[in-house]
Amino acid sequence: MVLEATKTENNLPLRAADFPNLAAALDYAALGRTGSNFYNSRGELYAVLTYTELREQALTLAQRLRSLEPERGARLAIVADTQPDFLRFFFACQYAGLVPVPLPIPHNPGSHKSYVAQIRAMMRGCQASLAMAPAGYSDLLSEATEGLGLAFVGTPDAYDDLPERAYELQPMQADELAYLQYTSGSTRFPRGVMITQRAVLSNLAGIITEGLDVRTTDRCVSWLPFYHDMGLVGMVLAPLASQLTVDYLGTREFAMRPRQWLTLMSRNKATISFSPPFGFELCNRRLREGEAETFDLSAWRVAGVGAETIRPRALFDFAEALAPSGFDRKAFLACYGMAECSLAVSFAPLDGGLSVDQVDADHLALHHHARPLLVDTVGERLSEFVNCGVPLSEFEVEIRDDRGNVVPERHIGVIYVRAPSVMSGYFNEPGITAETLSPDGWLDTGDIGYRVGDSILITGRNKDLIIINGRNIWPQDLEQLAEQLPDVRPGDALAFAVPDTDGTDLALMVVQYREKDVDKRAELIRRLQGVIHAEVGVDCHIELAPLHTLPRTSSGKLSRSKARQNYIDTHLMNQVVSQKEKESATAALLQKQAG
Amino acid sequence: MQSKEEILEQLYELVRPYTKEPIELGEETGLINEVGLDSVKVMELMTAIEDHFDISVPLNILPNVQTIGDFAEQLQLLLKDS
Repeated sequence: MVLEATKTENNLPLRAADFPNLAAALDYAALGRTGSNFYNSRGELYAVLTYTELREQALTLAQRLRSLEPERGARLAIVADTQPDFLRFFFACQYAGLVPVPLPIPHNPGSHKSYVAQIRAMMRGCQASLAMAPAGYSDLLSEATEGLGLAFVGTPDAYDDLPERAYELQPMQADELAYLQYTSGSTRFPRGVMITQRAVLSNLAGIITEGLDVRTTDRCVSWLPFYHDMGLVGMVLAPLASQLTVDYLGTREFAMRPRQWLTLMSRNKATISFSPPFGFELCNRRLREGEAETFDLSAWRVAGVGAETIRPRALFDFAEALAPSGFDRKAFLACYGMAECSLAVSFAPLDGGLSVDQVDADHLALHHHARPLLVDTVGERLSEFVNCGVPLSEFEVEIRDDRGNVVPERHIGVIYVRAPSVMSGYFNEPGITAETLSPDGWLDTGDIGYRVGDSILITGRNKDLIIINGRNIWPQDLEQLAEQLPDVRPGDALAFAVPDTDGTDLALMVVQYREKDVDKRAELIRRLQGVIHAEVGVDCHIELAPLHTLPRTSSGKLSRSKARQNYIDTHLMNQVVSQKEKESATAALLQKQAG
Repeated sequence: MQSKEEILEQLYELVRPYTKEPIELGEETGLINEVGLDSVKVMELMTAIEDHFDISVPLNILPNVQTIGDFAEQLQLLLKDS
């Protein structure tokens, strides 16, 4: 049988997420002829799942799940590989009154132990009752659930062998949870973001209408993981809640053959796709001479960019390299959001491309004020930030200083948001929830930025997160790895992100070490980098410091932010700035040429 | 069928371009901690291996692959089935 991908045009009027719950969104999409298509690493279509089929299969599976008699709202953990089964289980939960919890899949060689620990921590954290992994990961899942007392753990086949009974299904209602989203891979600090049906549908409506202005002629392509907020909410739920067809490529298939993304976009005349900046960079790096003109990216009207700090330079490079394919740089759509807000907070205007604000770097550092740089000033240092647009209308946004006062336009502060899309809290973590979410509904995003008019621009983060290639790395995990070495004691290591020469995060760890011998010091660094590579899969720069030199807060706790500042002040600043100047100058030149 | 030694020899050639410093490659060489592959490089290497042996390597074998020797064993199994 020859598979045929679902069409772009639907035979159903577009409805933009005006549903009481996700089950109702699928009920409506199932009336049409759109759906999702799955492609392998060679770009071959291997599975088609129309929304009609998805609904039927999810309803059947919901009956089988009910046969296990789970409590209403019980958590079903799903190892979220990019496969039709993920969608089937996710929506079976919606019909059966269960809460799906997407879990990551392992990427790194030799990560068996750390991966098992990671998903075990998540399943323990959310007190999962049920868990599912595709056949290839079932051994890892069995190991990770050992002794946790789950009611049922198995592959999709094992679930399909459960008896199907005719229960009366009660889909999850507006005030019940839609899913739990883990925001980081941290084994010590897993945080499950609780998102209600009402919250996610409110956000989806904003994304579909205000953010993307979705039309019936749109078609999406995505390689983003289903366990990531942008992959799940942005590229599974948003298309489904607006009845669009999506073409899926596995994340690892993308990572291996990034140009497959562009091939799919071309072949299906897709109009919407999102990626963190590194996805565009990776594509550009692998592009072969003369290849750009073999693609047809002229239909691509929304090239969404988010999930990490946006470096305009790399995106301009992508646009330039792919100009022969008809790619329009105005398709770049900067956005800002986070799992704690379901997904999206703001979008730049459609068809506007990236808008870069150039400010005086010295003035910014000294006065926390983003003063625009005059075009004809020479010799001033420059910082560039991408305009992330006006918040969706459901959002109230305040930028506050460290005393909690709202700051005026162009002054730097912490971004606070309030909206129906905001999470109900972190699952089973009242302490961390209270630190983040105020009783009157304001969320401390932990991000730092400023306003220009109604638009927001992000300058950095005050939370400790390190983001590398779109992955969230918690410094606590790196520090713990150091502390496991016999010659490093608890409290001897501090990890944090510093800006690399290209503006991306560089993971850095300062370790207090008594030994003076040069060879021994070099050996410790090698050993530590090796274990971080093996467990976390990232490069980490290691600095050794004398004992008792790590900075502390006034209450005596180790201070990551001070250590970070010290490091930047003493090591990096000059180097980073001179590099940035060069980049900005080129970017400005490119813009002029383009304009 | 290819012997493990034959596969190893081909793997050394495929891995060599990724070594940061000139190191001796052997069966016990760790891909992450010795060769120094990061997550992007791992995927590049997987592509090179798939293309070279003309097989599809399932991602789920990765968690149990620490060394070049581990990889050779997994490839031997995959090649037998293909």
